[in-house]
Amino acid sequence: MPEPIFDYEARLAACGRGERQALRDLYVQESPRLLGVAKRLVRDTALAEDIVHDAFLKIWAGAAGFDPTRGSARGWMYSVTRHLALNFIRDNSREIQGDTDVQNDAETFDADVHSSRIHRCLEQLEPSRRICILHAYVDGYSHAQISHKLGTPLGTVKAWIKRSLTALRECMG
Amino acid sequence: MTTRPVDETPDERDELASEYVLGTLSAERRTEVQQRLNDDAELRTAVDAWERRLLGLTDLAEPENPSHLLWQRIERSVNALNRQPVTPTAERSSWWNLLPLWRGLAGAGLAATLLLGALLLTQATVKPTYMVVLVAPQDKAPGWVIQASNRREIQLIPLGVAEVPADKALEFWTKAEGWQGPVSLGLVKPGQTLSVPLDKLPPLEPNQLFELTLENPSGSPIGKPTGPIQFIGRAVKVI
Repeated sequence: MPEPIFDYEARLAACGRGERQALRDLYVQESPRLLGVAKRLVRDTALAEDIVHDAFLKIWAGAAGFDPTRGSARGWMYSVTRHLALNFIRDNSREIQGDTDVQNDAETFDADVHSSRIHRCLEQLEPSRRICILHAYVDGYSHAQISHKLGTPLGTVKAWIKRSLTALRECMG
Repeated sequence: MTTRPVDETPDERDELASEYVLGTLSAERRTEVQQRLNDDAELRTAVDAWERRLLGLTDLAEPENPSHLLWQRIERSVNALNRQPVTPTAERSSWWNLLPLWRGLAGAGLAATLLLGALLLTQATVKPTYMVVLVAPQDKAPGWVIQASNRREIQLIPLGVAEVPADKALEFWTKAEGWQGPVSLGLVKPGQTLSVPLDKLPPLEPNQLFELTLENPSGSPIGKPTGPIQFIGRAVKVI
């Protein structure tokens, strides 16, 4: 039997009407994945939980004003969480303490299991450029951190990312 | 408010949106984009499109079960959020709810007591019934003293000359427990004593809050504090 489809839009609209159970449903449905995304960015479980806490408050407070024409409710939940985490790591400039804690490759990008369009478009990029995009989006690395990690000059990294983004836009529409 | 550069091309805008969503912008440029997103529909559309394009990459992060306390924390915060009416002025007056500020002020209480004692010794002729020491929120340095020898009039006495930018003025506010919001007691000149009749307000009460904020030269346009707090303190009844 196919898994019943979880209706994010309906839950979010219910949050907008002040229905607590809908927030709980969204939490049960997405919090492990959101926590995973936040933790990969901030590198600390307690901090990542703080981010997810703030994200759910933002989701609750912003639910009534959510505009479904701008994108999916699920996508919005990820955007809220990611940007909170990105603001945190940029504001706290992980770079200063951070070049050394750029993680080792144990946590790789297991793209084989992913069939969505973005992954197919990524595969069309050269591996070194693909890795730049993934380190930026998934790990929250700055240009300088990617340059350090790959041993590639900063200017090259910036140019690769810029061109890769253009290629992705063309591939994905 | 950050406005868009006049010569920004659609390609430049899309590039900015893409690097914002990718995460490679600096803290300053992120703030810039986030401010522009409030009223720049074209940038918003570009950012939304990039959020959609890249969303699939989020499933490269390994899911992790949150501790069971996280939901309780969220629930408590949602409860707290729901108790506050969400109005446009809520953000402006939200410093009333700043816990760190009040914690700091509790620490400033000792300094206030000492100062108060000193003043009592030197000004024995008129015995004030209430006193307030207004301190700077950051370093708790005392800047002004308020004394009231009756509950209908107060005097604001400078302890130094506060520095105020040329295009700003200090506005004096008070709020007692249970009031809707702070009430203006007028503009204050740095270094000058000011007597304020309280005839349109309820009598002074213990713990009543007083503060000076930085406002436009003609005072706050909305009748509530809008600028940063320069000095703040609470009324203490003198035995």
